[in-house]
Amino acid sequence: MGGTDALLAARLAAGDDVALAEVFDRLAPAVYSGALRVLRHRAAAQDVVQDVFVELWSHPGRYDPAAGPLRAYLTMQARHRAVDLVRSDLRRVARQERSSRLEPGQPDPSPYEQMMASEAAAAVRAAIEMLPESQRRIVELAYFRGLTCREAAKVAGIPEGTAKSRLRLALAKLENMLDSQLLESS
Amino acid sequence: MTAAERPALPDGLRDRVLAASLRARAAGRPELAAPEISPAEAFSRAADAFYGMLGVLRTEDWGRLALRGLDVQGLVGHLTGVEEDVHRCLAGDPLVAQASHVGSTQPAADRQAGRPPAETRAEWQRAADRTLDLVHAAGDPGAEVAVHGMRLPLGALLVVRAFELWVHDNDIRQAASLPPAVPDASTLSLMTQAAAQMLPHAAARGGLREPTSVHLVLTGPGGGTWDIKIGHSPPAPAPVGIVTDVVGFCRLVANRATPDRLGLHITGDPDRAAMVLAAASALALD
Repeated sequence: MGGTDALLAARLAAGDDVALAEVFDRLAPAVYSGALRVLRHRAAAQDVVQDVFVELWSHPGRYDPAAGPLRAYLTMQARHRAVDLVRSDLRRVARQERSSRLEPGQPDPSPYEQMMASEAAAAVRAAIEMLPESQRRIVELAYFRGLTCREAAKVAGIPEGTAKSRLRLALAKLENMLDSQLLESS
Repeated sequence: MTAAERPALPDGLRDRVLAASLRARAAGRPELAAPEISPAEAFSRAADAFYGMLGVLRTEDWGRLALRGLDVQGLVGHLTGVEEDVHRCLAGDPLVAQASHVGSTQPAADRQAGRPPAETRAEWQRAADRTLDLVHAAGDPGAEVAVHGMRLPLGALLVVRAFELWVHDNDIRQAASLPPAVPDASTLSLMTQAAAQMLPHAAARGGLREPTSVHLVLTGPGGGTWDIKIGHSPPAPAPVGIVTDVVGFCRLVANRATPDRLGLHITGDPDRAAMVLAAASALALD
């Protein structure tokens, strides 16, 4: 049936499953390749494609045709979801890394997890290097030496409240830096 | 990355994604479903809107030509006549079952001549109120009734009546140079459901004999999507796709718009689509 993005959005809102299939056939390859570029993992990229299209079909009104083409909207959604997945994987890998040091005998990570862990580690190391010295020190104590905030404050010779606020600031900066790196790489 | 460099979609992804989407929201269901109202409520809202519109007419508007040679006052009289036939129908009078919608109500239209407009308006209001009283007394909206050549459940009759009030509301607005009115989404939703249900009968009556499947998409609040089978044999493999705005479609069904005036998007056999649209406009009572 074709037509403009505004018409497609109106058809989706009216429950037109034919329109959904049309949008998928036209734009799913771009959505998939956008997700794959960030994730570098086919199964994860397919999950992102599914999430993006289920979201479009469930809430077509969230797409505003006046704000830009549907292709740009969907590929941006895919990129954001993919980046979110990488971020949550980074956190999970970091948690596993810490707990495996404390509890030997954990199951071996999958090839994907290994790849994510090595890429994540490199990205995190580079980002930490860019932090101011006072924040970098507290991150290293808390995350690489596994100290609690109170212990890290004692080692650094600063009040616990100061350690907490430096850690918060450092984590916010790290998240921003990692997000922009991931978006640039995609 | 160019299209040629893009990785091919994995096998099965399309089916998986479409199935997951339709589990989240069934095909045909609008994203923002209008709040459900009863047919009696739809009729009541249409009657309120009609009465309100009559209240803003200037004295000279009542004498303007509105429809079929009737002036505004005569058209309001026609609607009073329709209410009176509905009263007879609800009282079980078999004579109104096959009465002509126009012929049977002409005396009510004629008797308005020379009356003060306020009297015409008050008479119509009493008739519409009486319809609602009788409907509430009848109770069962599924009970079959017969009037003006239609045999249908009482609820469906009330939706048809809401439709007619809206159409004549706009006839009068046009005569008086007032902007057109649009029903609320809940009323529109009942109207479009009724039109979609009646389309196969209208198509059969209009001479569309070949089995046809129609994928009808009405966009905008009160719209939705319907897959309609016309004819009894297995339908043709390629369905006729019709996409248009919900209000425009209702105007077409009321015979107040022609297909060329609607923003239509057609797929499939254009001749068959034209026959379906012609059948839709034959649903009008006038």
